[in-house]
This record gives sequence, C-alpha cells and structure tokens, in this order.
Amino acid sequence: MRLSAFWEAFRIAAASLRANKLRTGLTLIGVVVGVAAVIAVVTIIKGLDQTVASTFSSQGSTVFTVSKLPQIILSREDFIKANKRRDVTEGDAEAVARLCTACWRTGVAARSASVVKYGDQKSEDVPVRGVTPSMFDIEDIDIDAGRPWTASEDQAAHDVCVVGVDLLENIFGGQAPERAVGREVRIGGRPFEIVGVAERLGTIFGFSRDNFVLIPYPTYRKMYGTKASLFIHIQVETAAELEEAQDQVRAIMRTRRGKTIRDEEEGFALETQDVFLNLYGKATSNIYLVTIGVAAISLVVGGIVVMNIMLVSVTERTKEIGIRKAIGARQKYVLTQFLIEAVMLTAIGGLLGVISGFLLAYIISFLAGFPLLLSLWSAVLGVSVSSIVGIISGLWPAWKAARLDPIEALRAE
Amino acid sequence: MSNVILAAPPQTAALDHGDLLAHDAVPASLISMRDIWKTYQMGAEEVHALRGVEFDVHKGEYLAIIGPSGSGKSTLMNLIGCLDTPTRGRYWINGKLVSEMNDDELARIRNQEVGFVFQTFNLLARASALHNVELPLIYAGVGSAERHEKARQSLTAVDLADRMMHRPNELSGGQRQRVAIARALVNHPSILLADEPTGALDSATSHEIMNLFERLHAEGNTIIVVTHEPDIAARAHRIISIRDGHIERDERTK
Ligand SMILES: Nc1ncnc2c1ncn2[C@@H]1O[C@H](COP(=O)(O)OP(=O)(O)O)[C@@H](O)[C@H]1O
Ligand SMILES: [Mg+2]
Repeated sequence: MRLSAFWEAFRIAAASLRANKLRTGLTLIGVVVGVAAVIAVVTIIKGLDQTVASTFSSQGSTVFTVSKLPQIILSREDFIKANKRRDVTEGDAEAVARLCTACWRTGVAARSASVVKYGDQKSEDVPVRGVTPSMFDIEDIDIDAGRPWTASEDQAAHDVCVVGVDLLENIFGGQAPERAVGREVRIGGRPFEIVGVAERLGTIFGFSRDNFVLIPYPTYRKMYGTKASLFIHIQVETAAELEEAQDQVRAIMRTRRGKTIRDEEEGFALETQDVFLNLYGKATSNIYLVTIGVAAISLVVGGIVVMNIMLVSVTERTKEIGIRKAIGARQKYVLTQFLIEAVMLTAIGGLLGVISGFLLAYIISFLAGFPLLLSLWSAVLGVSVSSIVGIISGLWPAWKAARLDPIEALRAE
Repeated sequence: MSNVILAAPPQTAALDHGDLLAHDAVPASLISMRDIWKTYQMGAEEVHALRGVEFDVHKGEYLAIIGPSGSGKSTLMNLIGCLDTPTRGRYWINGKLVSEMNDDELARIRNQEVGFVFQTFNLLARASALHNVELPLIYAGVGSAERHEKARQSLTAVDLADRMMHRPNELSGGQRQRVAIARALVNHPSILLADEPTGALDSATSHEIMNLFERLHAEGNTIIVVTHEPDIAARAHRIISIRDGHIERDERTK
C-alpha cells in the first residue's frame, strides 16, 4: 500500500474518532479496565518483590531456625501434628551449639507479648522477645541510640531492654530515640530500663516491623518461666556451609528426639527464610493468574464492544466508502482505513489503561508504603495487547467495508 | 498486480460467444460495448435494466444519452464508469476488457481511466474542496507536493481557485458540482462521465456547468452526459436515445 494512501487512512481514522468523542470513550472502557488491571497488579507486585527481596536478604541465606512449630502452617492437620511435638528447650540449644561443627553462631529466642507502659501511656500486646547476645549479630540488629545490653547485664538478668522505634511513637509521643534511652518503662508490670533503640526496619506488606521489645534471655526466663518452646537461630559463616550445618543440626535434634532414620516425622521444624519466599511466590503467582483472568475477560468484552462500534461506524459511513471506492480506492485501502481506526481506538484504550494502572499502583504503593517500580515492558505489552485486540475486532467490520459494492454504497445516505 | 487485461484474440471471442460476436476484435475505439445486459433479481421477478446494448465511443466525442425515467440510463452510465459490472456482454475501455475485471482492477480503471460526475455531487462532507480533489491522486499514489499542485490546477480550471479550503456545505450547488468536475478531471482520465450533472441545479447554474463541459470538450476531453433535458442534450455532438433498456436511436447532430 502506498504511503500517501496510508496517511489518508490514518487521517480519516483520527478524524472519525475525534468526531465521536463520547462514543470513543465509552467504547474504550473494557480495554482500559483490562489493561489497567494488569499494569496495576504487575507494578504493585514488582514493588512488593523489591520489598521482600531487601527484607529477607538482610538476614541473608546463612541463617536457619529450629522450632517446635513451623513458621507457616497451612492446615489444621499440620497444626495438630506439630503441636504434639516436644518443646524446643535450652538443652536442645546447648547441644546444637556444642555439637554442630559447621555452625558459626547459635542464638536462642523466646517469644511472648506484653503491655508496655510509660506513665499513663501504654501500648498493648507488644511482642517481647528474650534473646541471647549472639542474636544481635545473627539478626543483624543495629542500634540507633544507646547500646545493646552488656554481657554482665545479660548474665545477671538485669531488667534492661532494647526497643523498636514504634514504641517511641506509641508511648513517648514520638520523641527522638536519644531521649528514650535511660527511661524506665513497665513491661508486663515490671520496671525495665531502656538501654538502646533499634534502627528503623520499616514496613512489609503494610505491617510495621518496628513494634518490639528485646530483653536478655535470662531476664525473660525469670519473668515468663521456661514453659514455652524456644527458637534456636543458627548462622553459618558462608552460604556454602548451610546445607552441612542443617544436616548436622537435623541429626543432633533427631537423636535428642529419639527418631530413627525410618521416622518420617522429625519432631521439630528446621527452616530458612525460604519458607516465606516460597509462600510469597505462591501467593503472587495466584494473584497474577487471577489478574490475567480478569484482564482477559475485560479485553474480550472490550473487543466485542469495539467490533460492534466499528460495525456501526461502517454502516454510518457507507456513503463515504462508496465515494472513495467510486474514485478508485481499492479493497485493501478501505480495509486498512477501518483497521487503523480500530487499532487506534484500542491503542488509545491501552495507553489510558497503562496510565490509570500506573496511577492506581502509585496510590496503593503510597498508602501501603512500598516502592513504586514502573516498568516499560508492561506499558509496551499493555498497548500492544490492546492493539492486537483492535486488529482482531476490527477485521470483520473492515472486511465488510472493503467488500461493499460501490453502487450500493453510493445509494446509502 | 496487473491491471491491464487484454481482450482475447478475435478467434477465441468467436468461439466463446458464438456467431453474434464473431466480428469482435480488440476494438480500436475508446469505449466499446457488445451485447451488454444488466438484469436485477427482484424477488422472483427479473428486471432487465439493459437488454443487449451495443455502441462505440471514439476519442474526443461529446455524447448525450437521453431517455425517459427508468429507461436504464444510470445503469448504463454506471457500467461505463466501471462502478458496476454487466450481467452479460463485453465491454472494453482503451482496449482493456473491463467486463472481466475484478473489484480491485475496476478500482484502478475508475481511478485512472474514468472521471465520474454525479447528480448529487458525492463529495466528502468533512473534507475541503482541495482534499476532495486530491483523493483520486491519493489512491493513485501521487506524492503530496505533486498532488497539491495538480489539485490546485484542476480547481483553477473550473474557476474555484478562491474556494479551495471551503467544505462542500460552504459552497453553492454549482460550486460543488465544479469541485466534483475538478475531482473527475484531476487524474486526466480518458473519459468524463456525468449522470444528470445539472439535475440538482437551477437553470442558470445548469447553463454555467454545461458551458464548462463544452469548454472541456473543446480542450480535447471525451464526454458522455446523461440527461433528460433536450436543450442540454442539444449541446452534444451525438445523441443516443434509450428506451426500455435498449438503444432506440443513435444519431450524430453536429
Ligand atoms: N439496484 C437495482 N435493483 C433493482 N432494479 C433496479 C436497480 N437499479 C435500477 N433498477 C431498475 O432498472 C431500471 C433502470 O433504472 P435506471 O438505470 O436508474 O434508469 P434511469 O437512470 O434511466 O432513470 C429501472 O426499472 C429500475 O427500477
Ligand atoms: Mg438515472
């Protein structure tokens, strides 16, 4: 097809869309919604991916835990089974620390939750963890103001604590971390001195990671007893040793649980952060699938609407087509003219979809507090897919127009 | 794609169509119709709009086709202009057998060989006079600079140099018809066809348009005009009278 005729087709298509602005707009809704859904979800999940990656890599792939219950339980049966296990005890932790040669650092943590008070200010259900000093290294906890507790404070089970920054907001009215150091708070009714404030960790999936209190493990034991099962945190020096260390720890724990090789149930949970990553991966791929479904449906509906409107457009312009054919427009030209119009229509829809998808993602990421990662390929994909919808749904109307008999068409009004 | 379909040699034509057409060779005339029929199916009934029309038109002729309403003038004109195809018969333009051509080949003939002027103008309402006149050139693949120049010349030739950017609804009937004539002439067709070109115009304007046709004829154009007005027919040099789908009279008047 010659370029001059192609440009004429382009011009006519643009003029036709401009002449019917409202109709054009309404026609586009399906395509816009479909593309916007994909763009928003892809953009949001990309932002989440970034958050997840940075969150989990801070702990690194050199750490794993031993606990009674797995960190994620997906069924009631699993819970009942796991709940029957023996608690993880100090004895287990000592055995691991003593016998595991591939392990680099070993730490113990016990978890509970208590009300934290300062004067008449209080914060309910604050997660309180009793940890051994090595946990500061294993979890890479940085101190923003003050200091961690000392070895002697640990051994003497002093009532000292390190707090997350959320507590400053909740009970000190948002004072600077330095001002909180040295103050006395009541944790579960017991007075504690704040010796340090941990550096801000931020949020993940909209949940704060800074709402916590750390106290020395001996203090924790004094306060809450030794009834609850512990968490053993193990770190290897390099990721290469992770598997060896896990094998050793598994063997030590199985022996202590009296499990033979034939026992399938180990009697404890040995996990890395991969559990979270796997769960996250599964969740996001489900979200992708649902989104693709929604998008496909709206694009199909959008395509049908576009086809309908193109048929109307062909009918309305039968006379014009007759004139063009009468003075020498070939079938190919008329076909192209209407195809261009359909593609222009849906490409505009795709573009609007990309823009509104990005906007939606921007609003959500702003509210939920994760980074916004705009990707060019998703924009290109959005516009291309909608253009293809345009070609498919424009083909039949354009074909009808191209096949019109000039005399019949000229008779139309 | 070749748009030039040469007629079959005379022998083959004779074999195909029997004795009646045995004398058919590739005609030397500009237009040549042999035993042209056009039949419309109206439900169970067949309407024969044309019944075996035969005639030739030579280069430079000025021909009028007259006849009562419904006699088949427009049907014939649409066939000559390659807007329609005959049910039966053979038709050549410039030695090309157009009665056997497909849709796109006919489009090419309409674009290159024929300039058609309609009673109701048939201009694109949303386009300027200039753009309307450029259209045939666009489909002929002429580049924009040359296209503008030719369209301008064509509009100037019909005295519309000062109305080029006007849209049809900003022009009088006579001016619209002159735009249509400029459009018909812009590709320098072999023949100019006009189906009741003054049918929608008042008599003064009609006169003006017919003067224009006379001038175009004097400049060497071949013209066929359909009309039912005797004084318009009288300007032509040859008159074909049609009745009930066949040629009743074919006479040279000048
Ligand atoms: N598309 C059509 N379908 C059926 N009959 C038609 C059609 N076009 C023309 N006719 C018939 O053919 C005959 C000739 O019509 P036409 O060529 O328009 O006559 P004229 O132009 O001389 O008035 C008329 O009887 C008309 O009704
Ligand atoms: Mg007529």
